[in-house]
Amino acid sequence: MKKRNSVQFLRSPLVEDLTASLGRTILGIVMGLITGGILIALSGVNPLVAYGALLRGAFGSSDGISNVLVRASPLLLGGIGVALGIKSGVWNIGMEGYMYLGAIGAAIVGVMPLNLPAAIHILLCFVFASAFAAVWGLIPGYLKAYKGVNEVTATIMMSYIAIYLTNWVVSSLPLVAEEGVFYPMSKKFESSALLPILMKGSSLHPGPFIGIILCLVFYFILNYTSFGFRTKMLGSNPHAARYAGADSKKQIMLIIMIGAIIGGLSGAVEVMGLKRRVYMEFVTGVGYESVAVALLAGGNPIGVILAALFFAALKAGGATMSIETGVSSSMNSIIIALCMIFVIGVGVADGRRVRKADTEKSQDEDVGAKEGN
Amino acid sequence: MEENRFALQMRDITVEFPGVLANDHVTIDCKKGEVLGLLGENGAGKTTLMNVLYGLYQPTSGKILLDGVERQIKSPSDAIQNGIGMVHQHFKLVDTLSVIENVILGMPSKDQRLNIEPAKKRFLQLCEEYELYVDPDELVWRLPVGKQQWVEILKALYRDCNVLVLDEPTAVLTPSESDQLCCAIRHIIEKNRSVVFISHKLREVMEITDRVTVIRDGKYIGTIDTKDATQIKLAEMMVGRPVTIERKDRPVFTDKKPVLVMENVSANDDRGIPALKDLSLTVHAGEIVGVAGVDGNGQRELAECIAGLRKMTAGEISIQGKPVTGVIADPSFLGFIPEDRQKTGLVMDFSIADNLIIKEHHDEPYANKGVLNYKTIKSHAREMIKKYHVKTPSEDVKVQHLSGGNQQKVVIARELDAKPVLDIAAHPTRGLDLGAVANVHDILLAERNRGAAVLFISAELQEVMALSDRIIVLFSGEIMGELEGETADQTIIGQMMLGQPLEVQQ
Repeated sequence: MKKRNSVQFLRSPLVEDLTASLGRTILGIVMGLITGGILIALSGVNPLVAYGALLRGAFGSSDGISNVLVRASPLLLGGIGVALGIKSGVWNIGMEGYMYLGAIGAAIVGVMPLNLPAAIHILLCFVFASAFAAVWGLIPGYLKAYKGVNEVTATIMMSYIAIYLTNWVVSSLPLVAEEGVFYPMSKKFESSALLPILMKGSSLHPGPFIGIILCLVFYFILNYTSFGFRTKMLGSNPHAARYAGADSKKQIMLIIMIGAIIGGLSGAVEVMGLKRRVYMEFVTGVGYESVAVALLAGGNPIGVILAALFFAALKAGGATMSIETGVSSSMNSIIIALCMIFVIGVGVADGRRVRKADTEKSQDEDVGAKEGN
Repeated sequence: MEENRFALQMRDITVEFPGVLANDHVTIDCKKGEVLGLLGENGAGKTTLMNVLYGLYQPTSGKILLDGVERQIKSPSDAIQNGIGMVHQHFKLVDTLSVIENVILGMPSKDQRLNIEPAKKRFLQLCEEYELYVDPDELVWRLPVGKQQWVEILKALYRDCNVLVLDEPTAVLTPSESDQLCCAIRHIIEKNRSVVFISHKLREVMEITDRVTVIRDGKYIGTIDTKDATQIKLAEMMVGRPVTIERKDRPVFTDKKPVLVMENVSANDDRGIPALKDLSLTVHAGEIVGVAGVDGNGQRELAECIAGLRKMTAGEISIQGKPVTGVIADPSFLGFIPEDRQKTGLVMDFSIADNLIIKEHHDEPYANKGVLNYKTIKSHAREMIKKYHVKTPSEDVKVQHLSGGNQQKVVIARELDAKPVLDIAAHPTRGLDLGAVANVHDILLAERNRGAAVLFISAELQEVMALSDRIIVLFSGEIMGELEGETADQTIIGQMMLGQPLEVQQ
């Protein structure tokens, strides 16, 4: 009886998904780390020593681990937002813009002395962050779904607008912008609007855990709900989705908006948990790194958790590595990029192999299916 | 030295793919100046065998002799150098180049400059010789499919092939183009070249070939002289049992309620060109209306308009009195077997179970308040797999791993099991083997006898005549006329398919 249960567990979609994509991903990452090691060796440092320092920096102390988690927070949230888009066949990559809008939304209510209990003040910030980001996402969502505008261009352009909008807000919007400071920033958030610190003496806020929970929630939504079914159907075969009566346009708009809302929350968590103010350009590149996270995860929400933690560990440990061994600090970006390239490369090569085996098997059938055209 | 009589011999070719024996010791011999038919059902291994010849696959064992000499063919360029020409089912032409550019593409040349004039001259000469006329300066995408095939054939001849392989060449041709092809093939063999003609259509094979080799399930069944063969004999060799499409007896309904009513419907195709012109049609409960016609004369648009997938530019459609305004995705009302099951009818990387509910993924009992109930979905799938005899180890298998016939069974199970009032079956037997075709026919007839209105679209005249109570013929988006299925005459329908309205003929 027990044995049967374990077999069933192995056959569950969760495990199957993971084993299928995990093998490729791990192979890619190992190849990336090896190539990175060669580069480190070329710069005159023993790669084993360097990677040792990296591991120690990331996982060697509770400080290190909390640092990894804090860095993972925006990647988890951004990653799941992008991954959702990937599953539905939409490149919703304006995460950076959504983060800025979320931060503005949170700041508008967060800096006000409203004398609210913390739970309600925090919730209010989140609601504003979501609403601001949702409106921001509505624009590319509507344009993509109903006007056929390319979402890659639209979301990236919207990100630029968001960056400059934030610059304006934190430098000159009354009541929000701090006055008489050398660098544009918002007023400090009210203490009732700040997220609690979970570990004394660190900056560990609940963000990473919110991110992990959201990834699990979206794993469930994608695999076990009608909404998720529709999303995947749209991503796999839009013709069939239309034929099956799904309102593809509405679905595309919804997916982009949901991604935007998660992005907005990500920005809000970042300012309410870590920065405590909105600064000009307080995120640089994190939105784009979350695209990489989603790609590394192949759009799988569980994969997003692993990929985000992996990226964060490389970033956090990379700092220690460069301090301790003198490897250039840009090396960790190089390693991340190498891992990405190899993971994608292995995916392409393996996909081709699988496809070849498939076509060979069904060659005659395929040909048969087309005959008579 | 005695001259070798065989242009091509393939001896004991075995091709093994993981888990599948695609060719199992298949042997073919093609004499010089003869047309050898290669006959077999879809999936029997004909195309695999020819891909071995063309260097696309390496055989696990067996050898290839050209002109009596054993040759290793490792790639298509080896094959071309050895005088093998191949016309694939899916043409390998560059659409945006002109005909002559396609013909000389990839030919080795000492000159660095492109010198098209002599090539054109030689090409026109070939056109003349084989009576296949194509304008060398026309861009390929502007040519109808039939002409594109001429280009492929001329391309092979231009390279001076000794053995020309034609893979299901008539699938894309109109009847008159098929005649032209026959004529060209005769010219080719007059020049002592050989042709391997792949088909699963008996009539053509009887007409064109000198000898026929039959393969079934990857195995060599036998080779006979065409003059000694009959269609029935070949069919038996192909499927291992006698098969004919016969009109089956059916109950007659007296009370005929109209179900599908189309009034003066016009619609455009994807390019915005009118594809349906002022078309009116009524289909009653308990009858099969067959839509005959050369494919591409508005059949696709007709089906899509009824299912609400295509906007009409004029007219009205109603099903059981309800006007069609948007996409109908309710299989208990309209069952729609779309013409392209892989592109429209199925999500190829979804499982069988998921594909069976794509239209009902938000409805009870498969979903409850938006949460999918996989227990019900899977047990429903197991039931359908059993009822419709889908060959699969489990309901979790992705449909892309099923054969064409089994994929179609999944579509049929989804579309017809809920007993719709109207069935639209667009080319439901396309690409299926004879056994599967008979199965689909039985299902559609059962639907009619149950009392459903059935609109049956097919380009195969024989099955339209065998199955339909009434037959309409579409030509260029218009109905050329209507005939009783029982008494319809093939030649009259043939004339209508080419654009002669019934009244004119009578």
